[in-house]
Amino acid sequence: MYSPTEADAVIIGAGPVGLFQVFELGLLEIKAHVIDSLPEVGGQCIELYPDKPIYDIPAIPVCTGRELTNNLLKQIEPFSPQFHLGQEVTQLEKQADGRILIGTSQNYHFLAKTVFIAAGVGAFQPRLLNLEGIEAFVDKHVYYRVKHPEQFIGKRIVICGGGDSALDWVLYFADKAASVTLIHRRDDFKGAPQSIAKMRELCAAGKIQLLIGQITGYEAQEDCLTEITVTDIDGNTKIVALNDLLIFFGLSPKLGPIAQWGLDIDRKQLVVDTEKFQTSIPGIYAVGDINVYPGKKKLILSGFHEAALAAFAAAAYLNPEKPIQLQYTTTSPKLHRALGVKPATFE
Amino acid sequence: MTYVVTESCIRCKYTDCVDVCPVDCFREGPNFLVIDPDECIDCAVCVPECPVNAIYAEDDVPGDQQAFIKLNAELSPSWTSITKSKAALPDAEEWKDVKNKLDQLVK
Repeated sequence: MYSPTEADAVIIGAGPVGLFQVFELGLLEIKAHVIDSLPEVGGQCIELYPDKPIYDIPAIPVCTGRELTNNLLKQIEPFSPQFHLGQEVTQLEKQADGRILIGTSQNYHFLAKTVFIAAGVGAFQPRLLNLEGIEAFVDKHVYYRVKHPEQFIGKRIVICGGGDSALDWVLYFADKAASVTLIHRRDDFKGAPQSIAKMRELCAAGKIQLLIGQITGYEAQEDCLTEITVTDIDGNTKIVALNDLLIFFGLSPKLGPIAQWGLDIDRKQLVVDTEKFQTSIPGIYAVGDINVYPGKKKLILSGFHEAALAAFAAAAYLNPEKPIQLQYTTTSPKLHRALGVKPATFE
Repeated sequence: MTYVVTESCIRCKYTDCVDVCPVDCFREGPNFLVIDPDECIDCAVCVPECPVNAIYAEDDVPGDQQAFIKLNAELSPSWTSITKSKAALPDAEEWKDVKNKLDQLVK
């Protein structure tokens, strides 16, 4: 284990509520680290509905998931949070000294005085190919993400999926791989229109092959995949020889290891009080869709309120002797310094 | 609250919904799926996945589908958990737009 990063606050989840938690902690002069399983911030807002309108953010009549995320990032900029993206929190344990040890899937560790779980409905993970025995080939010849594109150059590759990830890699590898076969269960793609058009062009020019159907079987020799069987909707099958299989079926959230952290859970949500939004372990707070309390409504605006009260609770927990004054961003010179803005001048 | 699978699913069972459920609360019968109301966390992620729009929030279940709230609750304890999608029933296409097919439900 590397020596852990020491922190006053670690936020698990970079969705809207996790991002606003940075802001509320920042006003109280608490610096935060933010961990998220996705490679970019925004959580469900970015992963599930980046371009769909949201109408119930107070004082913002309408914004998209992406706009909300960008605005929050701008709002928390003065507090320069440290983001640790593309890694899932796998371990969370209270230590004898009261601090909380956090471990991630990238083997990164933190020792935090306070933790804010803003994990929504869980960590987004790739949807898997449903084919018996295929697990054994994952990261050998079956991939759910491309980390090293150069490893596929000159290979016969099969790419599965109907969205932008699948299309982008098809276009990228079209003239670099020995052969590229795209497989999608419907002849209907949900990607950028220009990517779809480019893919169709390559297909018409014979540079790539497009098959409509699903993978229903495979052959392997020792540790190597040799061919897959593709079955179309009418039950016709086709054999495709290959070296590597790249699967892009999108991402879906899974609650994952949160249930094993020893926190009180009700129907797979973390039980909190409505004064501090603290879980059953002091110093660990839960905000946003992951928590539950009487009357809970899963709204972004509820999460913002929860983040504010959790921040005040954490400030009292971190410095029990220091009284906390409620200050207003409109008038407080202290908050103006924290925000890096000039004091208001009155004419 | 919970989400509820309604009539459209009967004899179709596309199973797209089960892949996205963060808490694996779908249960499978011979020709229908239900949501276990004790496990569902109201995240709504499954709703847009259903190709036949069978899933509703408990409070939004249409008037003629109210019986399914109870059916989901009653059937889920004895049906088995399904966590990965699989092929729809072979004649799903023929049944997907059929109305009033509760009599087709196999328990």
